Amino acid sequence: MRRAAAVWAGKATGALSRISRLGGGTTLPGDVARAIDPDVLRKLSRDLKQGAIVITGTNGKTTTARLLSWLLEGAGHTVVSNRAGANLIFGATAAALERAGADGRLDADWGVFEIDEASLERAVEEIQPRAAIVLNLFRDQLDRYGELETIAKRIEKALARLPETSRAVLNADDPRVAEIGLNLDRKPFWFGLDDPTVALQELPHAADARTCPHCGASLVFDAVYVGHDGVYRCPNGDFARPAPDLAASHIELNGFDSLSMGVSGVRIELPLGGLYNCYNALAAFAAGTQLGLEPAFIADRFRSFRAAFGRQERLEAKGRHLNLVLSKNPAGFNETLRTAIDLAGGKYLLIGLNDQRADGTDVSWIWDVDFERLRERAKLVVPAGNRANDLAVRLKYAGVDAAPPESDPSRALDALIDGTPEGETAHLLCTYTAMLDLRAELVRRGWAKPYWET
Amino acid sequence: MARHRKTFTVGWLYPDLMNIYGDRGNILTLLKRAEWRDYESRLFELGRGNAKRMDEVDIFFFGGGQDREQALVYADLLETKQQPLERAVASGASVLAVCGGYQLLGHYYQTGDGERFPGIGLIDVRTEAGKRRFIGDVVVDAGLIDLQPTTLVGFENHSGRTYLGPKAKPLGRVRMGFGNNGEDRTEGCLQGGVLGTYLHGSLLPKNPHLADHLIRSALRRRGIMDLAPLNDATEFAAHEKILSRAQRF
Repeated sequence: MRRAAAVWAGKATGALSRISRLGGGTTLPGDVARAIDPDVLRKLSRDLKQGAIVITGTNGKTTTARLLSWLLEGAGHTVVSNRAGANLIFGATAAALERAGADGRLDADWGVFEIDEASLERAVEEIQPRAAIVLNLFRDQLDRYGELETIAKRIEKALARLPETSRAVLNADDPRVAEIGLNLDRKPFWFGLDDPTVALQELPHAADARTCPHCGASLVFDAVYVGHDGVYRCPNGDFARPAPDLAASHIELNGFDSLSMGVSGVRIELPLGGLYNCYNALAAFAAGTQLGLEPAFIADRFRSFRAAFGRQERLEAKGRHLNLVLSKNPAGFNETLRTAIDLAGGKYLLIGLNDQRADGTDVSWIWDVDFERLRERAKLVVPAGNRANDLAVRLKYAGVDAAPPESDPSRALDALIDGTPEGETAHLLCTYTAMLDLRAELVRRGWAKPYWET
Repeated sequence: MARHRKTFTVGWLYPDLMNIYGDRGNILTLLKRAEWRDYESRLFELGRGNAKRMDEVDIFFFGGGQDREQALVYADLLETKQQPLERAVASGASVLAVCGGYQLLGHYYQTGDGERFPGIGLIDVRTEAGKRRFIGDVVVDAGLIDLQPTTLVGFENHSGRTYLGPKAKPLGRVRMGFGNNGEDRTEGCLQGGVLGTYLHGSLLPKNPHLADHLIRSALRRRGIMDLAPLNDATEFAAHEKILSRAQRF
């Protein structure tokens, strides 16, 4: 009875929120329902016929969740998923509510939930997932999450409490994630990249967590793929990257357009760009096979995938191609910059930096992003967002000749369109709320659909 | 005419471990601002086990780290860095220490359980763990004589409470934010050539006048008294952005 009341109150809140245009109704219904019945997510999760998968990590949660949902749906399953990047426990609850029926019950086969790093413990306890994926642990929003170490310990605690029959699916290439996995009683399923041709020569400035957990020595990297993710070992032999159970090799990257790689004897081709998406695809592949999907089916299904809101979203504006890429922390930004400049040959960019709570109120991290990459290669760089002035300083010290900073989203967009020749592609790399602000302006101009319709 | 350019050297203590709050911004600002004045900027990365040529350094930078990393640098600081650092400061080098670096240069850091970790005592400050973390924008009215404007802006994120002894002067007083300890409204410290502070953000990019103050102080021992002015409009626009938040405060 209480559960039905909670579900109905939540559903009504979601509908109201969408009608009143307050937002996509992506988390508020969860708040309301949990206030009425704190156990509502636990109960709804039990209704799932096959079970649930939770996905956490600093970067790639949304894309990986979307990839895995895409696979499961392709196999004929119904999937509940918190799609709009609403990854706190309230968001997961709201997603389950939206799909619950009039009787307050959830009629679906699978739940695929992306979970904020700090919410994983509670999510595991309530959802009792069949698998938990940890993608990576990068430095992110120290004002909100605290130190990486604290987050890592909480994730370890959460994984230690996974049900007996569940599997932790972990990125072997991330030293801090590997440390978590090696401490678990049950062996995780490890995934990793195996292709030195796409590796960087040295660690980028944003890299962290590079010391041996046993002797404290700085780790030696034989390959660096993304941030501090790569093939590493302790020089004293106390710690090393675990051998992956599933590896991707022969990687080919085609700008923001596509990637391909060999996994388990099949060729994966995915219409997503960037080396970081190789990890996301590999994680979804790993979880998919753990849940019984065939490699050949996964490869076939990936070919027709479409990206999530603001994650390599393509729009047309006055004859220019716009490419929206969420870039929210140093590791993520370095990868999207690398993809935009080195792989896609991008020359026209808008960089959006906000300091709202969802972005992180401390913007110091922009000094760990290698904006030097833009020097003498980008023809136009528009610093945008409410901290556009800080970006302008960062670009100045990177030796990048940027346009004047423009905090107003409409004027920033004008500057970008005016400075980008027709037929060319402009890349918009933005933090979360800077992306929301720009997207709202794109919607107002009729160039994009509201995000809850995508 | 071939000309031998003057050098300007920054020594970064533990660049791989103590770099948590965009500390690279402080390094880049010092190096670039010297380069723009036709100095040949050099960066010495002083990691664990490396104390080479510390006597050639004009400005040392010591940033913040996570607890795990801070514990790793601790032994090395006492073993290989303390003495050369003391000698360099005695001969007129400057030091900028932020957050964790600031704490480690003081007398000690006392944990919540009362356990004391001695610092290297280069500055007359002590730090005690606090329960609540101080997080947010900071505006400081700085008491430095040659600082124009007199404000400093930044971001703080610390749970340590730092208290100044008689030999250390506060860097300034907080107009917005918590500062050293959230009690006496002081922020940072100045003692000899050492400047300790909780401000990051990064600190120097948005406070180019402070960057120049440090460069000038370090070069004074070589008889260089003047720095050519630069156009800092971009930097001060970012400075103003935070100042305007203090007016609303």
